[in-house]
Amino acid sequence: MNTRTRHHLRRPTLAAAASVAGLALLAGCSAVSANPSPEPSTAASVTVDNCGTSVTFDTAPERVVAIKSTSVELMLALGLGDRIVATAFTDGPVPEQWSGELNAPELSAFMPNEESVLDVEPDLVYSGWESAFAADAAGTRDELAGLGVASYVQPAACRSTGALPKLTFDEIFSEITELAAIFRVDPAELLAAQQQTLDAIEPDTRGLTALWYSSGSDIPYVGAGLGAPELILETAGLTNIASDVDATWDSLGWEAIVAADPDVIVLVDATWNTAADKIARLESNPATAALPAVADKRYIIVPFASGEAGVRTVDAAASVAEQLAALP
Amino acid sequence: MTAVEVRELTVRVGDRPLVDGVGFDAPEGGFTAIVGPNGAGKSTLLRAVAGVEHAASGMVLLGGEDLLALPRRQRARILALVEQDATTELPLTGRDVVRLGRSPHESLLGGGDRDAADVVAAALERAGATEFATRDVTTLSGGERQRVLLARALAQQPRILLLDEPTNHLDLAAQLDMVRLVGELVAEGVTVIAALHDLSLAAAHADAVVVLAGGRVAAHGATEATLTPDLIHEVFGVRAEWTRNPITGRPLLAVG
Amino acid sequence: MTRVVIAAIVLGAALVASITTAVMIGSADIGVADVWGSVVAHLTGGASPLDTLRDGIVWQLRLPRILTAAAVGAGLALVGCVMQAVTRNQLADPYLLGLSSGASLGAVAVVLLGIGILLPVAAFGGAMLALVATLGLASAFGPLTPTRTVLAGVAVSSFAAALTSFVIFWTATGDSYREILGWLLGSLAGARWPEAAIAGVAMLVVGVPLMLTGRVLDAFAFGDRAAASLGVPVVGARWALLGASALLTGALVAVSGSIGFVGLVLPHAVRLMIGPGNRALLPLSALAGGVFLIWADTFARAAFDPRELPVGIVTALIGAPVFAVLLLRRRSMA
Repeated sequence: MNTRTRHHLRRPTLAAAASVAGLALLAGCSAVSANPSPEPSTAASVTVDNCGTSVTFDTAPERVVAIKSTSVELMLALGLGDRIVATAFTDGPVPEQWSGELNAPELSAFMPNEESVLDVEPDLVYSGWESAFAADAAGTRDELAGLGVASYVQPAACRSTGALPKLTFDEIFSEITELAAIFRVDPAELLAAQQQTLDAIEPDTRGLTALWYSSGSDIPYVGAGLGAPELILETAGLTNIASDVDATWDSLGWEAIVAADPDVIVLVDATWNTAADKIARLESNPATAALPAVADKRYIIVPFASGEAGVRTVDAAASVAEQLAALP
Repeated sequence: MTAVEVRELTVRVGDRPLVDGVGFDAPEGGFTAIVGPNGAGKSTLLRAVAGVEHAASGMVLLGGEDLLALPRRQRARILALVEQDATTELPLTGRDVVRLGRSPHESLLGGGDRDAADVVAAALERAGATEFATRDVTTLSGGERQRVLLARALAQQPRILLLDEPTNHLDLAAQLDMVRLVGELVAEGVTVIAALHDLSLAAAHADAVVVLAGGRVAAHGATEATLTPDLIHEVFGVRAEWTRNPITGRPLLAVG
Repeated sequence: MTRVVIAAIVLGAALVASITTAVMIGSADIGVADVWGSVVAHLTGGASPLDTLRDGIVWQLRLPRILTAAAVGAGLALVGCVMQAVTRNQLADPYLLGLSSGASLGAVAVVLLGIGILLPVAAFGGAMLALVATLGLASAFGPLTPTRTVLAGVAVSSFAAALTSFVIFWTATGDSYREILGWLLGSLAGARWPEAAIAGVAMLVVGVPLMLTGRVLDAFAFGDRAAASLGVPVVGARWALLGASALLTGALVAVSGSIGFVGLVLPHAVRLMIGPGNRALLPLSALAGGVFLIWADTFARAAFDPRELPVGIVTALIGAPVFAVLLLRRRSMA
């Protein structure tokens, strides 16, 4: 397994364009990613080092089981909705901009088992969470490979090969580029749109602090210093109260939150844990009810999937910046 | 007359001897009673003779062979022990329990004992336990269970039968049944050694007695010659006199 | 005796029927003829009527898992019988006395800390340590009564479970909760052919000889001295039986995690059918345990399709009430 290449690819300072070049080298054909040939099946094989597993795609995958919303949405953004044969364990409805582009059934509202995944005869299982690849979930990567089914983990969600560096937009763009290379499509238009949205964001300059409250009641699960929440908050001009925690997510006690006294609270909205629930919890707990951010309802709401590194991270940053600007 | 020879048997708990250098001869094909006050070490001695209580030293010789040095299974084919108040939580039937008596005669995996069913049935019959064959032994009374356990020992077809207070839990008629059975076994050549707290029972039926006091042998030998009024007074602290049983005509030890 | 023979025939037939039926049940809708065509093709080297993925579902997912369930269920029920007889404790069970969680700890330590021992051997070591700890702790309280033994087992098994969770949290990357649940509650989701082989070989090498010890176990019914007077080398036999139990438990837990209550419930159920004699009880409990766990696991993987439930949840839902009834019965007896 070639972890060195993987780290090289995801070095945060690398520009998206450089990553494209790196991928093209990996693919062994300089034309693959940037200008896919009109006949995808004739393209040379693409090999990626994905979270410690080397995966080779001789042809573009045609039948994909997409697990978690991040994977579904990235495929939709690249116009690959027709390649999805089933989804599973998604975090909410498909965003409006892509509605109508997904016609595949959802296997399960939770983690599907291997048999149900194999039953739809996929040639790729693409997951936003690494834990999908286990014997009691969608199957181990080795076993799937043995049955001729490729597997791919959203690189930013990779945990098993050690801690990831702090997430950047360059990294997100290079992941988009890698996926585009696997499917032999051109990411240029999508990347340009992302870059344009990113450039248009005006960071807040009031020096405000924020809590990214994802889930949990007794011990809140919050966005920490390395992942998408940190990137989004920074981009919007906010300082994450948990930014010094070297993790994507972490459990943070209420005491630490009250002591940090965030100016605004970002609430994650998921079908299984809504923002409204979390507001009710904040207001019913005497310790947090007294926080100025709670008393003044200085809330910013983001959909769950945008809190995980993916195609909606840029939009989430723009949305947070916009909601923040509207707060007095 | 040959005998089962017990030699210098000692059982200790820590440093304290419960049985201390005990030696006696039990006539082969005879009934030997071990008597003595409570705490004299009767049960411990029986267990040590049976080899189920670890003896610090000593031997139990039969025909010059030390039974304690034999492998357990071989010993269990020669010698059977019926303890008092042995209980189980396992709801076995009477027949299951008696069947256990055949285990020393079977191969390790339970085969090689063709006569087992017949021997078990005969043992149940002899011990008066046939009616308990299909009963759950955890539901039996003390006396009923005692008969089942006796049947189990008989199923072992032992040459030496050790009985610990065999008349406990038994009503008078049953006690006489037990005495009659012991007599039959002895007549067949089985050596019976029984611990008895009932001195008059021992005096009336035993061929020989071993008087135990404080873990040591105070006296042993033929019953009438050994159980002298003086010895009984010394060991048990009661007065006793030999007389005749008006019904059976046998010697009777009157205690008062 | 006829009752035993009838029960043996019924349970043996049930085991075969369970394996053949369960292999047809699952998320994927595969016809009966195709399922059996696939199995036969693999056994005879012929061509499977199914495509690669569906063939994989039958031959790589369902069949080894069902066979593992049969072996694990049979082994746990057998170990339960043996432990109940040796400790003269109707509440004894490899799960309640801590063997299962000890074995889990041993297995997890090897898998996650990368200690270079074979998985089943490490699990055996863990099971044996837990057993010694449970019996040691129980006898430190006073005479070895059933209730004390179970209480000591609870303490040892909680401690081993906590250590297992700690090791997983400490070393695991990603989503460790599910892995912890798998080990502590028991799951057959990961059972493939290597797991089926471990469980099957353990049953053959340790389980079958253990099945033939019924007479020795019966001799323990009236206590150690009675057993000794019947020619059983009590101390050696007890440790050999407990050691074999730990060995078998270790091998089974290494493939399935600690599945609870199978060793408690099945012996009692079979006793109700055929009576308490261990000679028939051991093999018949093993058969019944195999049947039981096949169906518990089929329920675990198919009832909430396509989600997986750890099978230990199913066995605990059935076993815990039975345990409660047994406790109540003990109280009314006392």
